[in-house]
Amino acid sequence: MSTIKLEIVTPQGVIYDGDVAMVTLCGKDGEFGVLPGHASVVSLLDAGVITAKTANNKEIVVAVNGGYAKVSEEKVSTIVDGAVAVKDETGALSANIEKAKELLKSSHTSDTAIATAVSRIESIK
Amino acid sequence: MASLKDIKRKIKSVKGTQKTTRAMKLVSSAKLRRAEQVVKASKAYALKITDMIEEIAANIAKSQEELDHPYFKSVANPKVVDIVVVTSDKGLCGGFNSQTIKFVNAQIAKFESQGASVRLRAIGKKAISYFKFQNREMLDQIDGLSSSPDYQKAAEFIKKVVESYLNGETDKVVVVHNGYVNMITQEIRVDNLLPLDPNEFTPKAVSTSELEIEPDDDSVLEALLNRYFEYIMYYALIDSLAAEHSARMQAMDAATNNAKEMVKNLTVQYNKARQEAITTELIEIISGVESMK
Repeated sequence: MSTIKLEIVTPQGVIYDGDVAMVTLCGKDGEFGVLPGHASVVSLLDAGVITAKTANNKEIVVAVNGGYAKVSEEKVSTIVDGAVAVKDETGALSANIEKAKELLKSSHTSDTAIATAVSRIESIK
Repeated sequence: MASLKDIKRKIKSVKGTQKTTRAMKLVSSAKLRRAEQVVKASKAYALKITDMIEEIAANIAKSQEELDHPYFKSVANPKVVDIVVVTSDKGLCGGFNSQTIKFVNAQIAKFESQGASVRLRAIGKKAISYFKFQNREMLDQIDGLSSSPDYQKAAEFIKKVVESYLNGETDKVVVVHNGYVNMITQEIRVDNLLPLDPNEFTPKAVSTSELEIEPDDDSVLEALLNRYFEYIMYYALIDSLAAEHSARMQAMDAATNNAKEMVKNLTVQYNKARQEAITTELIEIISGVESMK
């Protein structure tokens, strides 16, 4: 299975860096999925959740509060102001769920976008 | 000649100081390690963001002749220069803050000799109190930020600076802070924040694939650049904090050693004084005995 490199970077450090089979990004104009070999694109990201699937079908969920994504054929780099990993390869990180919700609520996006993202996070548990 | 009691008291007090300075050194070295990690972690972000700006700038350059953005318009003779100076909130760190202030003073003199007026924006208690004492007007001042850097607050601060640049109130913005090199060295770092030098953003490797940018080039570039400014400000803060801790560590180490030296000297003095006292006492006894004969 081909993979694509995903990097999620904040000013505080790297939140996630690894190879995944598929990424779903929360773009300003709606969610979009990225598979390996995607055409190059730069997009604004809204506050929301970035989800990714690894090669062995594990799900990764990271809450972000807006930023940028640069997609190229072999790499997705996202630059965000803040990010909290809600779920990684090992499973849900319950301690981070509250933090993720706080992060989303502090961002300056529309309430509906936040509400959608929060409910997504809650459904993970 | 100080009395025995006086010397004893002095030794005790110096020993007390030594304990404090040693503790401060340990605290600083622990904090330094943390600050160092923060700096290291944020480096990844810096690389990414400059990469992205470079690529978008290159993309725009493909369609347009040159970058036509107020951020990139350089002025040959700036009339108004804003200097953002970052110092620590706390003292007891050797020449750390005075170095920065000295440098800023030299910069002010330089710009003023070129006929520009300088406006100061100070971060950190030490810079604020210094310039207040000098009766220099400060456009903006924040304390409490340099001892606990916060991205959000740094962003708010720099936003005001960028806005005043866009309004044409200033032609040039410089950020000065004392940066961290390693455990024993700090160096003054100067960032020419605005206007940006387009040459700084020429990509090393031009990608051949067509880059699609949503919603459009200019708004993405502008927002990215704003983020870049925020980051530069934030980086100045965390770098300065790391440098502050390393400077304090050094200063406290020197202070501990000096205290040790002082205790040694005082002990010698104390022993001499004690010896003298014993000798005088002996002479007194002997001469007393002699006179009784």
